[in-house]
Amino acid sequence: MKKTSTRLLAIMLAVTLLSGLMAGCDVLGKEKTFEMFIAMPGTELNEGNKAQEKIAEITGVKVKETWLTGQTAEEAIGVMVAAKDYPDFIEASDGYQIMVDAGALIAIDEHWDKYPNIKNYLTEEQWNMCRKEDGHIYAIPQFGIVNDRDVSPIHNDEAWWIQTRVLKWAGYPEVTTLDDYFKLIEDYAAANPTHVDGTDIIPYTILCEDWRYYCLENPPLFLAGSPNDGSVIVDPETRQVIDYNTTDIAKDYFKKLNEEYHKGMIDPEFFSQSYDEYIAKISTGRVLGFVDQFWNWGYTAQDAIKAAGLTDCTYVPLGIVAEPGIEERYHNEPVLDVSGGLSITTSCKDIDGAMKFISDLLTEEVLTLRFWGIEGVDYLVDDDGLFYRTEEMRANAIDANYKADNLCPYAYFPQYEGMNLDGKNAWRPDNQPSEFFEDLLPEVKECLEAYGAKTYVEMLNPSKPNEPWFPMWSFSNDLTTDTPGGMAWAKMTETKHEWLPRVVMADDFEAEWEEYLEVYYRADIDAFLAEMQAEVDRRIAVAEGN
Amino acid sequence: MKKPELEVKNDMQNEELEVDTRVFVRRKKGLKRLNPSDVIFVVINTLILSFAVAVTLYPILNTLAVSFNDGLDALRGGIYLLPRKLSFKNYETVFNMNNLLTGARNSVLRTVIASVLHLSVTALLAYVLSVKEFVFRKHVSLFYVLTMYVNAGLIPIFLLFRELGLTNTFAVYIIPGMVAAFNLLVLRTYMSSLPDSLRESAQIDGANHLTIFWKIYAPICKPVFATIALFIAVFHWSSWFDNMIYNPRNRELTTLQYELMKLLSSVTSQTSSGSAYGKSTQSVAITPTSIRAAATIVTSMPIVVLYPFLQRYFITGLTIGGVKE
Amino acid sequence: MTDKDKEKDNRTPEEKKTAEELAVEMKVASIKRRQLAYSSDSSSGNPEKTKEELAARLSWKEKRKLKAERLAEPKVELNRRTLRRQKELLLITIPFVLYGFIFYYLPLGGWIMAFQDYEPKDGLLGSEFVGLDVFRYIFGEESFLYAFRNTLAMGVINLVLSFVFAIGFALLLNEVRLRGPKKFAQTVSYLPHFLSWIIVVGIVRDMLSMDHGIVNDLLVRFDILDKPMNFFSKPDLFWWIVGFSNVWKETGWNSIIYLAAITAINPEMYEAAALDGAGRFGKMWHVTLPGIKPTIFILLMINIGNVLNVGFEIQYLLTNAMIKKVSETIDIWVLYWGIGQGDFSVGTAAGIFKSVVSIILIYLANSAAKATGEERLF
Repeated sequence: MKKTSTRLLAIMLAVTLLSGLMAGCDVLGKEKTFEMFIAMPGTELNEGNKAQEKIAEITGVKVKETWLTGQTAEEAIGVMVAAKDYPDFIEASDGYQIMVDAGALIAIDEHWDKYPNIKNYLTEEQWNMCRKEDGHIYAIPQFGIVNDRDVSPIHNDEAWWIQTRVLKWAGYPEVTTLDDYFKLIEDYAAANPTHVDGTDIIPYTILCEDWRYYCLENPPLFLAGSPNDGSVIVDPETRQVIDYNTTDIAKDYFKKLNEEYHKGMIDPEFFSQSYDEYIAKISTGRVLGFVDQFWNWGYTAQDAIKAAGLTDCTYVPLGIVAEPGIEERYHNEPVLDVSGGLSITTSCKDIDGAMKFISDLLTEEVLTLRFWGIEGVDYLVDDDGLFYRTEEMRANAIDANYKADNLCPYAYFPQYEGMNLDGKNAWRPDNQPSEFFEDLLPEVKECLEAYGAKTYVEMLNPSKPNEPWFPMWSFSNDLTTDTPGGMAWAKMTETKHEWLPRVVMADDFEAEWEEYLEVYYRADIDAFLAEMQAEVDRRIAVAEGN
Repeated sequence: MKKPELEVKNDMQNEELEVDTRVFVRRKKGLKRLNPSDVIFVVINTLILSFAVAVTLYPILNTLAVSFNDGLDALRGGIYLLPRKLSFKNYETVFNMNNLLTGARNSVLRTVIASVLHLSVTALLAYVLSVKEFVFRKHVSLFYVLTMYVNAGLIPIFLLFRELGLTNTFAVYIIPGMVAAFNLLVLRTYMSSLPDSLRESAQIDGANHLTIFWKIYAPICKPVFATIALFIAVFHWSSWFDNMIYNPRNRELTTLQYELMKLLSSVTSQTSSGSAYGKSTQSVAITPTSIRAAATIVTSMPIVVLYPFLQRYFITGLTIGGVKE
Repeated sequence: MTDKDKEKDNRTPEEKKTAEELAVEMKVASIKRRQLAYSSDSSSGNPEKTKEELAARLSWKEKRKLKAERLAEPKVELNRRTLRRQKELLLITIPFVLYGFIFYYLPLGGWIMAFQDYEPKDGLLGSEFVGLDVFRYIFGEESFLYAFRNTLAMGVINLVLSFVFAIGFALLLNEVRLRGPKKFAQTVSYLPHFLSWIIVVGIVRDMLSMDHGIVNDLLVRFDILDKPMNFFSKPDLFWWIVGFSNVWKETGWNSIIYLAAITAINPEMYEAAALDGAGRFGKMWHVTLPGIKPTIFILLMINIGNVLNVGFEIQYLLTNAMIKKVSETIDIWVLYWGIGQGDFSVGTAAGIFKSVVSIILIYLANSAAKATGEERLF
């Protein structure tokens, strides 16, 4: 009697476990399910997500996305590679090269003949840039592929941000140089030392946490009038790489920060604050200005400021340069990042099905579903075919609960930015000019108008076409310590990260700067620059079709 | 102080009762002769402990306050003991997570199964190792003690589990780590401290070791079992690493703590320099502090509530000894 | 006593009882007796008291001798007869040995990665052997040596602080006579154990913030500092911040085992001490603390072996570039230079190094305990 019940229990357990296993690869009806791992943090969709169901109706495919949790991309990928156990789709991020080396990815170009949507997604030259040493393409880039033109009213990239109240107080002056910028902040801070909530204002702060220390480190590049190549300046005339860390502009910039630090203009906690604390500070509206990429702070802090009703404390971008006469290039066209992308792994049993799905995702109908949602629910269409949203729809679109239940952007699958394929609307709501103006604060509108601008982007110089080597960060990001240049790059980064805050806080700037340079030059800078130069030359050659 | 009741329900209560009475008697004595140094001692002790409680409690209350505060408002900081802008939205978000039920089910299952199974198995081995004349007693003890210090590393262990067919199964939460050396030592020490005659007389009566373990030792060891069960339960309740490594993509096998980690780590994930310049079209997904706070409260509450029920069993002591004991 | 005598003792269980075992039996007996006594609501004295007192007053030399006797291994010869007699015990043990071997020792085969230039695609068997190159590499890296120093320093600080605080807390809590507040304090104390480091670090940073952090506010108010200090700019403070964060998070949890051990102390010891005129503090110091000494020593020994396992989460979350030289631990180093560069050999080598150091430390600690006649692990 006892034995039978034990056996029954065992069988029940086994069945439960098996059914758990089966769930991983269910083939319910005709609908296929693929697994995908994205080596970036993100949010899972809820079961029965409406847009996902709709896409599944059209394409016959549902993708279960899993995101990076509690480890680095390399660790997660490393374990997968060691076990040779992959999901069907993968965005390997920093682990891309490990995947390629391990032979874990299938060559996209061997399977794309039946799928013109994929083959024509990039131009021949662009595809060539994606090819690995063996001549094959293992990842499809997802970002920076613009359909028609870029209409984004938001400057999503780096700039010197300043609160509109500061500009208004000074009567919307012309602010071009570093000296102008800090003069303005000093004057305002002297006249208005207290924030509305009774705390002291923080005139200027700098984020230095981990990889986000670019907020301190890379302004010399922009101050010199260069676009965001990231790791070096490339002289557009001579096409030679220049190390921006040791230029006179760099020294002047850090000297200025040092002066401002001693004047009490710079947040004394700047170098030790965490990202959370930084966002919290900006969200209070106490910070007058800072340098950052918009995507790093705007989608959280800007919203928090608005929600708190501090309508004069939101920020506009300024294109600050070292001295008058330098043309700033803070705004650039969307960038094609060929250092990785969406891959299909060797564990995928149905490569054709996977390719077809990617192809289907690039149709107008599905693209609209992915980025605008369901018509009549998430957006409405007016008589001219223009999409618009009600107040409620706009609120829904930023509500985490609503998003998890209703929206499904499949963000790490290929997509078109700029214009929707219908040629009338922007690819997603926050890029739609009409949507943007609807949501614009009067204070910001007034400020923009004072500078003859309608959008944030117009506060800066219009973007120029990207040079063929742009952006160099897509190369330096993939450097490893296996090469002398990569080793130097790692050492340079470490030195800068440790020394730049010290330089800013030093009592004797000149001495500290000298000491910093001495440590800095211990790395083999020339080896690094040589590798960068070789890449610039290679990219130019590829673009020119050699 | 309540007077001890006459009625005695079971052994456990008996023990409690005894301590109580001791206190009662002591206090009476204390009243007779008020020792000034004792008064100072009590005052200082109370002060120190009150300080400790305050320091410990404040951040917890703070987390609670933040969890009930509006998300965007909480970003601005400056919330102390009470929410500034009351909102239940964070809890709504947490409870809306769709893996929550599956995660809760798996967490409860693994905690219960592991506590029972690991405890019985460890206790059985502890019993064997408490038999003083057992020839391999020292060897086996050392064999397990060493496991506390040698670690093969992630990849070899992963490969082993895969060979054993444990990856992508619920069993991977239960089968590994069944005998933890620390727990083994605690249990064995306790059992060793019991008089040998207990076992020997039963052996003379013809009982075998399994029977002795089950019928004689297990009931006596209840209090120490409770403590070890708590250790195991807490460990399993808070585990997420095995979930992440061995079952990352199977949502049927997710656990509550792993779901919590997903929420928490979207901020602090150690994204390397790769994203410093690139991928800029994707806004960085971060989970508001307030949702993190709510998730922390939700996931830790069950075991926190469980503790006081186990605490009453700690009344009888346990000690821990080395391999030789 | 000669060895022969002991052997004889073993065969006659009743005779081999040592003083401490007697004490246990006496305790059991006295508990039963007192239960009877209380049920008739009287608190009579008990005759065994004098014996107990005697035991309590034995000099440490005598105690040591008694203990040595107790710990003396019953000498059982390993022969066929013994094996046959202990068949049942052996049968029970076999699965445990197999289990332990498979789950704890078999994966150690992976350690050969440290002697290879391990490539995931070639696997353990296909990767090229490079001898001790990986070890040479890590010991040649200045940053690894820093990481080792930091790990050791933080490990020792954590060890000392966590012991002092957990034991202190257990002792003090034990002195609280009111049950309500006692339970409340204990329940509160272990709560932080359930918060993950991400949350705890947020709390620590809040407290130490220059911008109205409570610690800076207090220091300024009491004129210890003229203006708020940035705690995270001082390399000398970092290890202590980590140490006290650990104290905050784990003291309550760590004290559970001491509180449990305290309840095992014979209540009559306190009565004896009271007769000697000991006050509350005296009893705590002379009875409670010695009573949990064996537990303390064993835990100390176990944790000495774990001194290098200080983790990486808190250090990673609390650090900044300026104090990286004191904050980087071996685990962070491995994450960055090993796994971050896809190099599992480096991680494995560092792991082996940690294991070896652990075992050496444990061995030293154990030998020290042996030499001084204290409780020991093996």
